Amino acid sequence: MVSSQHDDSAKHVVDSIHGNIHLTNREVQVIDTSSFQRLRQLKQLAMAQLVYPTATHTRFSHSIGALGTMIRILEAAKKHGLEISDEQNDNLRLAALLHDIGHYPYSHLMEKVDEVKLIEEQVEGVPVTKSIDARKSKYPEHEEVGEFIVTGQDDLVKAIGGEERAKAVADIFTRAETADPQLSKFIHSSFDIDRWDYLLRDSYATGVPYGHIDINYLLNNLRVSPKGMVGFSEKALSAVEHLLLARFFMHRTVYYHKTTYGLEETCRQLLRRLRDREDSKYRYGVPVDGNEIKKIVTSKKLNTFSDAFVDRIIRKAVNDKDKVIRSLAHSIQSRKPPKLLKEVPVCEETEKQYHAGKWFMQNCRAKLKNLADEFQIPLQQFLLCDLKANILKRPEGLTSGQAAQMGSEQIRERAFEEEEEDIKIFVGNDEEPTSLMDIEYSLVVKYADYFFQMFRLYVVYEGEDRDEVVSQLHAKVKGWDKA
Amino acid sequence: MDRQQIGLKLAVEGLKLPFLINTFDDRLILQKAVYLAQAAGVNLGYYYHWYLHGPYSPSLTRDEYAIGFERGQGVDDSEGWKLDDESAGRLEKLKNLIPKSNRPEVRRKLELLASVHFLINRRQVRQNDAREITATLKRFEKNFSEEEVQNALRELIDYGLLAA
Repeated sequence: MVSSQHDDSAKHVVDSIHGNIHLTNREVQVIDTSSFQRLRQLKQLAMAQLVYPTATHTRFSHSIGALGTMIRILEAAKKHGLEISDEQNDNLRLAALLHDIGHYPYSHLMEKVDEVKLIEEQVEGVPVTKSIDARKSKYPEHEEVGEFIVTGQDDLVKAIGGEERAKAVADIFTRAETADPQLSKFIHSSFDIDRWDYLLRDSYATGVPYGHIDINYLLNNLRVSPKGMVGFSEKALSAVEHLLLARFFMHRTVYYHKTTYGLEETCRQLLRRLRDREDSKYRYGVPVDGNEIKKIVTSKKLNTFSDAFVDRIIRKAVNDKDKVIRSLAHSIQSRKPPKLLKEVPVCEETEKQYHAGKWFMQNCRAKLKNLADEFQIPLQQFLLCDLKANILKRPEGLTSGQAAQMGSEQIRERAFEEEEEDIKIFVGNDEEPTSLMDIEYSLVVKYADYFFQMFRLYVVYEGEDRDEVVSQLHAKVKGWDKA
Repeated sequence: MDRQQIGLKLAVEGLKLPFLINTFDDRLILQKAVYLAQAAGVNLGYYYHWYLHGPYSPSLTRDEYAIGFERGQGVDDSEGWKLDDESAGRLEKLKNLIPKSNRPEVRRKLELLASVHFLINRRQVRQNDAREITATLKRFEKNFSEEEVQNALRELIDYGLLAA
């Protein structure tokens, strides 16, 4: 634990990850707003606490931690020649503090409702109109919601120092037109304050050690080039690779844990089914579209937009007239998670066309309707999931074959859009850094040619014969990962 | 493919554009075409910010690659799906805004249209001042003439993307 220093600090908070974090007066004012305090009511890992009992940490503590990380990165970068004005420095700190202000109840769970496909839209043999209504506004991404809040909630605008300053801060975390891309990179990139803090904090809170990145070594080896490029010295390559692998392992172990993910998917399906209802009375408060979200987050209702917002919906849905809705809601409320019938993990080269996961999805589509009929379980209580996790995304999705034919300059030029994903390494005594992608002996670069996916089939079933039925279902789908 | 990705694929098809992401021009064309589709009221759920070549959505890039990856594996989950009629009609009209010339020209025009719309929509510039818009674009190293900007403004108004 290292204490961040700030000579003009008004207060300091003691953080379990970063030690003492010294706050300026303005930061204290921002934290004290009711808009910011809402983050105390948003669990950082949504439903993970139903599996990891101590994973009850919040967006609030992560946001303070992100500020702590930003303070340490800025100190290290300035020590190595990064030149930024006091105003830029202060805005970056505020952007770090506020980067998650726009999170939805249960974070990404609710944000992604528009992406949810219902099982009847996926399997064969069900007469359903598969239509996308693009007249409806979608739920905005949390960065956009953050912009609405930072520039639209009076308490925050005042605490930040006025509308102009609030816009400048929001521009950094939304990477808007007026922000300096180099500065935004501290918020969004493979070595950003967000990831550094959440990997450490989530590891600490869950007890799963894979996210323990070597933050002190990374900071000690942070370098700034004469052109202002920020990267790491070559000797920190292992720490950089560990950072990338840590993210991958935490996804596979914690974020995609079979029980957590099953409960969260059940909740997503529930919210989507309720939102699609014509009668608003029976939507139980699920916002019908993006416009309604915007109205909530720019009004006094913002404070009600916490995890409890979704909890209330679940409580109402438990008594719904529809059996499927009741089952989904009850599964979450009573923590009777959906049973995993089969999981097919796949790690293959990106060019690989045929693999077990593909066969599994094809078989599910073709056979699931009959299976549901045979067991007299509503089809809607089956959940078919396809989860992805990259170790390192090769710029612009080049295959290894294509990349081998291109020079590094060419790759970088073509990949500018994803520059935020590109970690820079100072090789030897070079003044300007090289892309990590060009480090031929890097282990994680080699893994960039691979994709990792997990295909899963769950069932929500609460009959008294649950164990027996699930066991029979297991046997039925056992061979579905084969052609 | 999730629902958002299916919506994206259907919208690109509605614009009669090939779903190509192999080159920088391909991806830029998709980015700007989707931006304009959203500006025309076809809500696909992508949030744009300003980047080196105008409006850019990182989540759209992720979805482009996800679709490209699945296509490479011979998977197309968009079969059997359709967009609502009103949105399909909007795309049908909007497709005429995309020139039927070579890719670099298509790219240049869409970049201009999307950039001008974005700057006006986000109140970075005034709609009635083509000179200011041209100068702002130059500041971002975009070499468009005032005449090109004026034409872009007229077309954006004609197609209902900007108020007259």
